[in-house]
Amino acid sequence: MTAAIVLASVLVALWVFGVDPVSGVSLIAKGAFGDKFGVARTLVRAVPLVLVGLGVVVAWRAGVFNIGGEGQYVVGGLAAAWLAAALPLVGPLAMVSFLAAAALGGACLAWLAGWLEVHRRVPAVITTILLNFVSLQALDWAVRGPLQEPTRQRPLSARLPSESMLPRFDPQTDLHAGVFVAVAAVAAIWAFFRYSHAGFLVRLVGENPRVARANRTDTGRTKKLAMALSGALCGLAGGVTYAGVSGQIGDGFAEGWGFLAIPVALLGGLEAWGVLAASLLFGALLAGSENLSRFSAVGPTVVYVIQGLSVLGVLAAFRWRRAGGAGGP
Amino acid sequence: MSVVVRGVSKRFGRVPALDSVSVEFLPGEVHAVLGENGAGKSTLVQVLAGFIVPDEGSLEIDGEPFPLGDPVAARARGLAMVHQHFTLVPAFTVAENVALDRAGSLRGRLDLAEATSEARDRAAALGWEIDFEARAGDLPVGAQQRAEVLKALCGGARTIVLDEPTAVLSPEEADDLIRVVRGLAAEGKTVVLIAHKLSEVARAADRVTVLRRGRHVATALVSGTTTDQMAHWMVGDRDPVPVSASRAPGRPLLKAIGLRVWGDRGNEAVRGIDLDLAEGEVLGIGGVDGNGQVELAEALAGVRPFSGGLEVPGAARVGYIPQDRQTDGLALTMSVEDNLRIGHEGDPGLSVGRFWRPRAVRSWADALRERFDVRSAGATSLVGSLSGGNQQKVVVARVLSQRPDLLVAVNPTRGLDLKAVDFVHGQLREAARAGSGIVLISTDLDELEALADRTVFLQSGRLTDRLVGGAA
Repeated sequence: MTAAIVLASVLVALWVFGVDPVSGVSLIAKGAFGDKFGVARTLVRAVPLVLVGLGVVVAWRAGVFNIGGEGQYVVGGLAAAWLAAALPLVGPLAMVSFLAAAALGGACLAWLAGWLEVHRRVPAVITTILLNFVSLQALDWAVRGPLQEPTRQRPLSARLPSESMLPRFDPQTDLHAGVFVAVAAVAAIWAFFRYSHAGFLVRLVGENPRVARANRTDTGRTKKLAMALSGALCGLAGGVTYAGVSGQIGDGFAEGWGFLAIPVALLGGLEAWGVLAASLLFGALLAGSENLSRFSAVGPTVVYVIQGLSVLGVLAAFRWRRAGGAGGP
Repeated sequence: MSVVVRGVSKRFGRVPALDSVSVEFLPGEVHAVLGENGAGKSTLVQVLAGFIVPDEGSLEIDGEPFPLGDPVAARARGLAMVHQHFTLVPAFTVAENVALDRAGSLRGRLDLAEATSEARDRAAALGWEIDFEARAGDLPVGAQQRAEVLKALCGGARTIVLDEPTAVLSPEEADDLIRVVRGLAAEGKTVVLIAHKLSEVARAADRVTVLRRGRHVATALVSGTTTDQMAHWMVGDRDPVPVSASRAPGRPLLKAIGLRVWGDRGNEAVRGIDLDLAEGEVLGIGGVDGNGQVELAEALAGVRPFSGGLEVPGAARVGYIPQDRQTDGLALTMSVEDNLRIGHEGDPGLSVGRFWRPRAVRSWADALRERFDVRSAGATSLVGSLSGGNQQKVVVARVLSQRPDLLVAVNPTRGLDLKAVDFVHGQLREAARAGSGIVLISTDLDELEALADRTVFLQSGRLTDRLVGGAA
């Protein structure tokens, strides 16, 4: 059903832009999975959505509304770039260190918001949004200051040597080993909720903290843990983009993945495998509509229109189905 | 007005909740609908209220067909509900809650005084003292119940349906409600009383309809039948209640000296009480609801701060059956299995280290559901979809299977039917025999008498030896 709604949203967008639906849809399909370039584009765009989407799932399941995926993503990228500038690391050790630093950076930022919610009663919805601004400003400053490339011409960090970047499967595409990181994260979060005591307590604290407290669960600690894990996943996404795609960090590093991941997480039903499926769908949609904007006269705006219409359409249909199917009060 | 239910059936999954049930409710009489948990009482109420559309059957009011599944139309036709689980907005004051019920649309101006004047008059006529300015969520359940009843009475209601209204009330409050209900019938209103306590039906109702497992078993004049007959209709054959054997108390388990506990509004709810409890002992604490019971229970269970002395051995496992299962006892949006395993992380067999063994958990949960007769479609059903009695069984099953050293239970059989009450009482006795110390806080004198080795009463936050002004 989701696919049908997405298709309908695409058709509406094409109609609004006055594009012939048949050629428009075929351009999108080709751009998303028509050849190896399309498939690679789709997967590369799905990777940050998966990781940040999982981060949103973990926090929201604990009842902490982390809207700060964007900021944690940026801080993750910054932490990795800072490590690259500070230490002369190369090879596999460098990759692992970048990802670890990115996860740690994101975790610290989100944990701070969690701490403020638990100990100072400041809602994480507010602090995480504000910390987004702080992170973006820190990025602006860093790429014009300590992290700027040696020639000091542009707001960009120095480019990583290719042997320090995540390996690519095919020199012609951007597809990098980060897809394995994303799939492993999906499996890990699925197992976290299914098998671990901590995952169970995170869900319990999110669904009814009073019951958790009555059973001797430290709800504050659980929330902070969930936020740290959530931030680690968002930061990891930034690290993967840095070490997998760009190899450098600039003031345009934040591309809105942190915000798009929220509807992706909701679409995925706040479940790990659901996030994977929703991310692939949106990865394909982005890759496809970029192709459309490149090979037709509509311009890049169509990407955002299709994306926005699809999110609205799918979420509305989900709400409608839940309201209609419940039967009881 | 007369309300006729004709051949109504409703299934949830494979389970029939109502199986072609027909009943006629007449003006000027109190008509009790009696049945066990899961007998279909609440489903029938939901059908009347318009929240559930039945698979088959129809409703009539005064001979005219009545739209199914339209709660607004039901209310407009004078059909008012007092639900088992309250529908008050906790953050609103009582006055705002009453006004909310009358508002109906977003248009117009809200005059709180005008909107609540009828409710205030009603309350005065019934001799109820209600603080209309208090937040509904801060009131004890007895007072919330009264607010619900007032809401239902206002706005020209001619038929009042009360779903297990006395489940949370003390005997005095229940008597008062029965008085109110009789008064309504005397005014010519149609009163439908959903109940499972026979003694109440015998006192309050003119006619009784008995449901069992979704089927209509009998309708009779209360004056023309006996409680034994009604019990037989309800449950079929029933086991006799075992007599509690007194035994020598064990080692001291809990000692409280000068215990003080504060309520949510900063009021001193428990004002310096002394308690002691030995292993294997059941200490009953009775009293009218709202005299500090919940606060005391929460302090003993370790979820509410207190001052004064409270000694419990550090290693003691504390089990807590709270007053309000929906807010404090269950995560309604989680499955039966998840709700059962709360607090069981340390059970050998269910986990390896810090990880669950899902298959072992499933078979353990299935066994527990079977033993406590939790009626649900499966272990993965959401607890929120269960009937109130079955929800209570989930709480009791979880807590008793934790084998607590100290058990704090507040109205542990609230909303349960006779069979389930007997079962839970048996389980509590067994826990005491196995060495658990039990603090049983209950508004039900019969329950205290059946279980407690000794009973004290809470009165305005202090302990007394007998229930002041009560029937004891």
